[in-house]
Amino acid sequence: MRHSLQSVRLQSLRWRLLRTVCVASLCGLALTATMSYWQAQHEAEELMDGHLAQSARLLLALVRDNEEHLGDLATRLATVRSDEQNLYEPPLEFQIGGVEGALLLRSEHAPRVELSAPAGYTVIEHDGQPWRILNLVAGSGDYRVQVGQSIVLRDRAALEVAVQSVLPIALMSPLLLLLLYYSVRRGLKPLDDLTADVAARSPDNLMPLAARHVPTEAQPLVVALNRLLFRLRATLDNERRFTADAAHELRTPLAVVRIQAQVAQLTADSADRQHALDQIVAGTDRATRVVDQLLRLARLDPLAQLPTSSEIDLAALARRVLAATPVPEKRPGLLLQTRGKPLAVSGDAELLEIVLRNLLDNALRHTPEAARITVFVRRENDELALGVADDGPGVAADELPRLAERFHRGSEAGSDGSGLGLAIAQRIAELHGARFEAENLAAGGFEARLRWPRPPVTLRQGG
Amino acid sequence: MRVLLVEDDALLGDGVRAGLKLGGYTVDWVRDGEAARLALLDHAYQACVLDLGLPKRGGLSVLQELRARGSQLPVLILTARDSSADKIAGLDAGADDYLTKPFDLPELQARLRALLRRAGGTATPTLEHAGVVLDPASKRVTRDGEAVNLSAREYTLLLDLLRHKNHIRTRSQLEESLYSWGEETGSNTVEVYIHHLRKKLGADFIRTVRGLGYQLGDPA
Repeated sequence: MRHSLQSVRLQSLRWRLLRTVCVASLCGLALTATMSYWQAQHEAEELMDGHLAQSARLLLALVRDNEEHLGDLATRLATVRSDEQNLYEPPLEFQIGGVEGALLLRSEHAPRVELSAPAGYTVIEHDGQPWRILNLVAGSGDYRVQVGQSIVLRDRAALEVAVQSVLPIALMSPLLLLLLYYSVRRGLKPLDDLTADVAARSPDNLMPLAARHVPTEAQPLVVALNRLLFRLRATLDNERRFTADAAHELRTPLAVVRIQAQVAQLTADSADRQHALDQIVAGTDRATRVVDQLLRLARLDPLAQLPTSSEIDLAALARRVLAATPVPEKRPGLLLQTRGKPLAVSGDAELLEIVLRNLLDNALRHTPEAARITVFVRRENDELALGVADDGPGVAADELPRLAERFHRGSEAGSDGSGLGLAIAQRIAELHGARFEAENLAAGGFEARLRWPRPPVTLRQGG
Repeated sequence: MRVLLVEDDALLGDGVRAGLKLGGYTVDWVRDGEAARLALLDHAYQACVLDLGLPKRGGLSVLQELRARGSQLPVLILTARDSSADKIAGLDAGADDYLTKPFDLPELQARLRALLRRAGGTATPTLEHAGVVLDPASKRVTRDGEAVNLSAREYTLLLDLLRHKNHIRTRSQLEESLYSWGEETGSNTVEVYIHHLRKKLGADFIRTVRGLGYQLGDPA
């Protein structure tokens, strides 16, 4: 659980963004704070050096005016000595001497360092502690002055200054992080909204997503999603229609069986009962046919290619199907017409036989008894065709494009086909790389065929 | 009792027709919406059993046109469409009842009887006149409590007269009620059946209105 939560956080745009921005901001702040710290400390040292020099010059000026009362001066200076506890005023120690370095005057705690040292700043060790010392010589050259401060005390002051300058930055950081968090959340809100919108989709609600408030970066995603939703809806509608049609096709023969069975039960007339029983058999046959065709289509639908493929002599195949087709008594015989050299395609003989049987079945079902039905195999302009033609009344022009739709039935009454025969023919044509075509003939009648644009295999002579 | 059956499926239509005939109805069967429209314009039916998915013209369209004409004909929709929305659409278009396939034949017959009863303005299931009681559900006729044996045609004729108790029925009206299309009708068959009924139910039971037709006699 924890692991998954962690991985979710690693994947989350919000967390990644937040982490990156926070780390970058904190680094920036830390760098700024460090630089401010050093800068402030340095400036404080400079400032205190300045004070040291100013104090030294003041002392020189005082000594010159009080040459006669140096002892009084020492006493007075001792009274203005500052307290060690005062952070920003570290006590100033001094020694004053003549040109030769003879000591004239010194503060009580001043380190005992030779006055003869060259003018300028030095750092010395005194009582085990570092001291900052400044030696100065009066312009006239008759006095030397040496002032000093404990570096420990100076550093304490400098540190205080530096810390005070860094403090606001440190205090602001949490506030900044909080602001960043809310900004990122606010910035990603449109994505959250989009997520909620997508989550609201279900098979019952496949409406397109609203693209109005979606950020530009996510627009392509929304467009792609909407396209997917549209396809999904179309597929689902198809499935639903197919299921409803299939239910209808199965329910009707069942209704036939039921009502005829009840008629047979209720009637007293034996001829009527016989007729009802015959109709029950016919209804059962029809239900069987519908189930067979549905199963066939269900098996063909998922195929990407033919299960088996071999070279097939179309004329021989047509002869086989014709021989196996029972022709009703009153019908003239079925004709076979082959035109062109021996015609072969590579394909699945069993499936092609199904196509031909379906086409023949349709022709027998939808033409008057006197109509002539011809099965043809022909080759024209490098194109191969296998099909069935009749000289019946043909099909209404507006129905032609819908013939191969699943469960589409002709508008003329009385058809008891499954409505799937041509859909199956079309699917088998696709699997064979052929086209299924149906048209009314100029001379009257109707023709349905599989057409291969080019002979798929070379033709064998005499095959 | 003449009923129009509109059903495009050959096997199912045959079954429903046979079932309705068993119920004592005279059935005209048409197989598309256009033929149904014409039949409804041309003939007087007592009821219509209507499929919805029809070639040439949908069942709902046929029904709407019928109602737009102001016809009160009882219509029972018989269809494979079983969704609630379909039923609502059918009933709102003017159907009086709705039955989905597959269905039970006795139920179809009972629903049709109920429709006809209501259309005749009565709620009681039996028809009665001058001691003669006809029960459409069992197709039994009694006279003063005693069963009377009637042939199918005699029964149909009696049912028609009982349903139109206060009207004079012309010979052609009675013929329409007795015969569906294509059935041979003799020149004086109505007279023959009237004669039979009078023999079985009493000479005064049906009276002849000269030059017009027939009507049930005044109760004694």
